[in-house]
Amino acid sequence: MKKTACHLLSAAFFLSLPAAAFAADGSLNSTSILRVYQDDRAGFASKDLAPVTEFLALDAEKLGDGNLSAHLYGWGRLDLADDSFNNGKTDASLTYGYLMYRFKNANAQARAGRFMVTDGIVNEHVDGVSASTDLPYGFRVSAFGGAPVHTQHLANENTDGKGNGIFGGRLGYRFGGMLEVGVSGVYESGAPSLDRPGNIALERGARLGDHRLVGGDIWFSPVRAVELIGHTSYNTETSGIAEHTYLLNLKPAKKLLVAAEFSEHHERNYFYSSALFASMVGDLSEKSRTTGLSGSYELGQGTEVSADYKHYSRDIGSADRFGANVRFTHMDNTMRSGIGYHYLNADSGFAINPATDDSASFHEVRCYTMRDTKTFFGALDAIGYFFKEKINNEKSAWETIGSVGYHITPALALSGDLSYGQNPQYNDDLKGLVRLTYNMNYSGKGDAK
Amino acid sequence: MIRPTKLFPLLALAGLTVIFAACSQMGTMESLPASHPEELGTGRVSCSECHEDTQKGSMKPLTAFNHSSEFVKNHRFYAATDDKVCATCHKPSFCADCHTHKVEMKPSVKFGNRPDREMPHRGDFMTLHKIEGKLDPASCYRCHGRANNQRCVVCHTR
Repeated sequence: MKKTACHLLSAAFFLSLPAAAFAADGSLNSTSILRVYQDDRAGFASKDLAPVTEFLALDAEKLGDGNLSAHLYGWGRLDLADDSFNNGKTDASLTYGYLMYRFKNANAQARAGRFMVTDGIVNEHVDGVSASTDLPYGFRVSAFGGAPVHTQHLANENTDGKGNGIFGGRLGYRFGGMLEVGVSGVYESGAPSLDRPGNIALERGARLGDHRLVGGDIWFSPVRAVELIGHTSYNTETSGIAEHTYLLNLKPAKKLLVAAEFSEHHERNYFYSSALFASMVGDLSEKSRTTGLSGSYELGQGTEVSADYKHYSRDIGSADRFGANVRFTHMDNTMRSGIGYHYLNADSGFAINPATDDSASFHEVRCYTMRDTKTFFGALDAIGYFFKEKINNEKSAWETIGSVGYHITPALALSGDLSYGQNPQYNDDLKGLVRLTYNMNYSGKGDAK
Repeated sequence: MIRPTKLFPLLALAGLTVIFAACSQMGTMESLPASHPEELGTGRVSCSECHEDTQKGSMKPLTAFNHSSEFVKNHRFYAATDDKVCATCHKPSFCADCHTHKVEMKPSVKFGNRPDREMPHRGDFMTLHKIEGKLDPASCYRCHGRANNQRCVVCHTR
């Protein structure tokens, strides 16, 4: 009943779409893509694929009394040749579709329909309602409730493992320009029972269960040049810390930013409500830790250099990744380029087949350039991974993509991509793509992508 | 000893007083604008080019939201508490370019004409994910743990 009511909210959204046609403000973004490629891998039947996909995004603002808006994003696919992904000739998905009412004061707003919730430690996809507002003295509160958006059933199960109801929220406090702290939580109704022996074993071994988390978050900036931000979450079902993740930003000069990162995950507690991930923990480890240091510096007008180092520590071994990127923007930002190099030095435990004592280390090289003028646009992009030891008898995996396009009108553009690569999966990976985009903004919203 | 039932009307009155006081104050509290009042240029934005103040409504200095490479890489920290700041310049579909319900194609394929956007999983990620997934499975889980995993469950079964 609750589940039905929540899905009816999403349905109600669609009934409001005719009204959206009369919106004074808004935007319509359509991307139609035809891909042409062959899926030919050892051990699988060869497929000739030609799926055409339509992505549609609609934002209708200033409805009703001017404070109501409607938002929609989804896609649909039709296979013109062999079936894609064993789903039949067609597939579709509604990512979000909701009505939002923005009150004039206190950043208060309410949403109804299907939407994403990112609030403190909460990261959910919900069919339901949500509301949030600032409160006096620096406090703010938000809450949501409804049904989790269900996704693909687990293999040989009649469920995706999610419960039928979910609610949560966050209470925060801000002290002008210096501090924000918050407590947040999410509570999902009981997870459905699973049938596969492996999943039953996970449940009985207390490695898989209900999705219930609480946690706290912080943003602290005692001076403009220092910023600490992050959160900790706690699994109330396993009575253990699930995640610590924190970032320290230092800005010693206007164009220089140095960041230190620390993340630690207790994987039984973190993956507890996902059969997909909980099943992998036993093969990996109970705890993982990542520490890193990175920095970026603007050398001058249009040039940014960044470098980063990250250390991964797990029961199965440790790894280090380091590298650098350079980004260039020229000609009033119509020309953008970049080049980057990274090296992952990883223990054999991270290799694809650790039993064979393979190395998991590889070099990564990427360079790209693009030009976007009022009439034409084009891009070249190349990325290569060069393995320390062969994977499937291949020393590398590389791909190049070339794209050219033409602005038929300021809002309408036609483009085509051609990509070619070689990798452990495919000897000759050639793909073609034709793209028609229509981006019409009726409101002059800041970012037009 | 005062019975709780006799205290209830007093507590209710006090509660109502607090709520009315809060509501009257909230009427004077500023909201962030629904959209950026001026058209922004293409590419990454540096808020501090125009703004030096602490943003009313978010109570944070806008320098915190300058779109450096570091910010883009770590934007999840900001989106978790300041999505209303993001929404003044970005439409919801901007997030959905990567954060989606069921992925139809890699974002880097959909936006093959925009290599400047930091789209995830470029190149042969089918091979790479067998290494990256062991390195940092939590980073996979954030997007593919409880959603957007219809491709994953095909192979990852127990």
